[in-house]
Amino acid sequence: MEEPLDFEQEDQLVRTPLRPTNTNKRSKVIGLDDLLTDYYEEKNKYVHRKSKRLSLSKRDNSDEDDKSQKYKERMLSKFVHDCEKQVNEMSAEEEIPLWGHRVFGHQKSLPSTEYKGVADCQLLQPSSIGDLMSVFHLNEEQGESFLEGLLVNRWLCKLAFISGFVEDSTATWVFNKMLYSSNGELQVSACEFWCNILLSKDEADKPLVSLGWFPGYSQLMDALVTYGYLFDTSITRSSLSQEVHTDKPEGPPENISSWIKVISACCQIRSPRSIFSISEAEELLCIISHFSLDRELQGLLFIINECMQSLIIFFSEEEWDVSCKRVAKSLAFRTPKDLNCLRVVECVSVTNGRSKQLRSQIALQLLTLRFDTKVNDYKEILEVLMSVNVKDKDCKFFELYIYLVLVENFFLFHHLGEEKWVAIDTWCKFLRNCSSQITSTDWRSYASKVRNKASYILQTTVERSC
Amino acid sequence: MVNPNRKRGGNCSGGSSRENRSNNNNMDAWEENTMAILDSSGFKDSQDVHDDRLCFLEAVRSASLASEPSTAPSWRMFDAVFQILVDCNSLELAMASYQLLTELDKRYSRVYVMKSDNTESSSNGIGNLVVVKEAWSPFNLASGGERTAKDSCSLFDSVRFSTLIEDMVQAVNKLSFDLVIKAVGNLLLFQYLVNVLEEDLLPRLTVYKETLNWLLLKESVLNILLGSRKLNFKSLVRDCMSILLKRCHHNIPNNLQGLRSSEDTCSQSSQDCDVGLSIAVSELEKETCVAIQKFFKLVMELDVARKEADMHGLTSRLDGFRLPILEIVVDELTYNRDSLPPFLVVFSEPKWKLEIILQYFSKYVTKSSVRTRRSNEKSDGATLAGMLNNFSTAANTKNIVKRVTSGAAQLLLAHAFQAYLSLVHDSKQIASSTERIGATLSEICNSLISAFRNLRKTDEGLEITSFAKEALFAAAMVLKRKP
Repeated sequence: MEEPLDFEQEDQLVRTPLRPTNTNKRSKVIGLDDLLTDYYEEKNKYVHRKSKRLSLSKRDNSDEDDKSQKYKERMLSKFVHDCEKQVNEMSAEEEIPLWGHRVFGHQKSLPSTEYKGVADCQLLQPSSIGDLMSVFHLNEEQGESFLEGLLVNRWLCKLAFISGFVEDSTATWVFNKMLYSSNGELQVSACEFWCNILLSKDEADKPLVSLGWFPGYSQLMDALVTYGYLFDTSITRSSLSQEVHTDKPEGPPENISSWIKVISACCQIRSPRSIFSISEAEELLCIISHFSLDRELQGLLFIINECMQSLIIFFSEEEWDVSCKRVAKSLAFRTPKDLNCLRVVECVSVTNGRSKQLRSQIALQLLTLRFDTKVNDYKEILEVLMSVNVKDKDCKFFELYIYLVLVENFFLFHHLGEEKWVAIDTWCKFLRNCSSQITSTDWRSYASKVRNKASYILQTTVERSC
Repeated sequence: MVNPNRKRGGNCSGGSSRENRSNNNNMDAWEENTMAILDSSGFKDSQDVHDDRLCFLEAVRSASLASEPSTAPSWRMFDAVFQILVDCNSLELAMASYQLLTELDKRYSRVYVMKSDNTESSSNGIGNLVVVKEAWSPFNLASGGERTAKDSCSLFDSVRFSTLIEDMVQAVNKLSFDLVIKAVGNLLLFQYLVNVLEEDLLPRLTVYKETLNWLLLKESVLNILLGSRKLNFKSLVRDCMSILLKRCHHNIPNNLQGLRSSEDTCSQSSQDCDVGLSIAVSELEKETCVAIQKFFKLVMELDVARKEADMHGLTSRLDGFRLPILEIVVDELTYNRDSLPPFLVVFSEPKWKLEIILQYFSKYVTKSSVRTRRSNEKSDGATLAGMLNNFSTAANTKNIVKRVTSGAAQLLLAHAFQAYLSLVHDSKQIASSTERIGATLSEICNSLISAFRNLRKTDEGLEITSFAKEALFAAAMVLKRKP
């Protein structure tokens, strides 16, 4: 191949300029390889010599090869060990737990849902339906089980609508079935019964069924205690398992979804004030929002949100400002100071002005609680943020990330009035610091998240304020 | 993710003459920035990808729902949100994307009725139907339309829709699950799609009833979806029925207590704990049964409108032909008699439940001797009173029981009565169903009781089911309260 082919020889013009460049290139590549091999050979020799010298200095040149081999092994194992240690340190630093917070501890024993005054139940009086009883043996399964059948097969609800009222004893019985029955079918039909009755209205917006007994805050709270809701969040999981009644199941029973739904329905009736007072509604809103932190209840997010929206509408225009702040404050106290802060804020689904305000307030309250230095309003928070040096080696990026998201949420929904522009200006300055001073090669955990988040918020803030 | 040096400045150009363009630029920049959150290049583990997706959903939410003024997401962004629901990598993402899509649909409706300000037309109460052409939809039904196959790969056409339902049937029949989350995703997806179909059809139906403009319904997503030749409508209905019959029950461990003790709940390694999934599934099972009934109801309403349009000569050959869903359901119940009782228990939508029972029953009633096309349509005129009339005397009852069997008869009577009772207290529903009743409340109750007396007379050993006993009890109570 090196020799020119017959026809190539004829065409000197084509051949001559090509050949030299080709050979040049090839020799150049070979030269680089050679250099490398030379370099490694040299280095090997050096190491070899060094180890030789080392072993020589200690002993005579017996078992010389073996010695150098052992030395190499020792060096390698030390190196590996160091690496391992570093990796462990890195992963320990990066281990930031996912959000998730148990809001339910051990259940207490569920109370009996037996119908107490079944003998006095108007509905079941035998005289009421004449000879049908005997003809069809309706009296065979009297009392509670017959009533249960009526409930599960949805007759009870129809009868309530036809007669226009529900006896008190029946109302409480169904309500207790809903809260405490472990029979899924019964529990679900009981919830359906109550939601249908509470939400029904005629054309004149009047309820179709008049109730002598309404569900109340205290019954709902009793149920929550029975389900094991942790009102005091200082109880940790470890102290939980040390509790005495460990035979009782942990976490809420399935009835929890009925509990949420019925509160939603209670708030939508014509005069919800007859059921909840303002402070009770505040407490419920706080508890419902708190539910969104429990990973076990993730699948109920949709009904949790519906319930939150119904509770938010409960308040009148004048009450809302104060109540919103109060709910946010108490929720912030119940929220652990980690990723849960972000979860609780982001679970307030913003569809109207009020839910925006709630989200913003929760963010603000969480911020004020999180800063060790006492801050009272957003201006001071911004000042503290501005003092953070992102170039600092010990900069806590995870914390910074949480502040970033919280402040963003606070700003998105808050009406700052005239000082708005000053605040936004400072905010943008801080965002610019984060996005430009953190290098893209910063591998520390959450460094890139802070950088990316800051630059995204910066973009949208700038666009919006143009 | 976002390159901070990209797109800085340049978006602030204002000026009234260029406002439109600058808005467009803003939109482009916003889309670019937000989509960049999902950019998975660079060093990222699965948790990072997960976080990025949540971040993306949150960014869309805050820009399109929370800020003032808010803008609808672009189609590309909508596609991405929908894709997250379709992928369904975790319960958290599935719930968040479902919720976001639902709320976006509420805010940016695709079809709505606008009452015109024009006094002349408003006196007639006729609203105008507004179809927002630019609105995104999870359905891609246009053949060779604007959206090519590439940019709409996750969108639904007829084939994908029926595949989704087939998957749901498989999940219900499965004995064990490797990935419960996939089943959860499908249930959420189905619910979302049915909601989209409903939001599209209902306003069209409202305007159609006023104007008899068939074109409005012809162009509805539901009609196009089901009219496709690629879709086997009959098997789709059967699939839906089989899910309903099982109450959408999934065979996953649902004993919460057992689940909690078997594993250290919610370990850090797994995103979704078994207890969380189990609670989610049991909630979704209920909601899916409601969604399937809603789907049936929509198709039935469409079918009724179609029939009316046919009679008015508003349709043409081009409209194609599809069996009415009611016929398929009734046939299915006739051939699989075992499925009649569970179906009647789970199907609770009163208006159409009564309709199904009346149609089912009319199959057993002696047809008029001359079966012309006309008398065939007469079965439409069946009423609850007419049905009860078949049991008015012992002789009649004996006659009909020979064909229907006494067991099925008591079942049909009791369920028809329940559906009727549900209609009675709903003033809106009863108005549209009066022609199906044909008697007063107390007349119906009396005929029901005498029907059961006659059933008992013809078949001494007949065991009255507890459901029927409850129906009789209810009838007696109604009579007592309303003399």
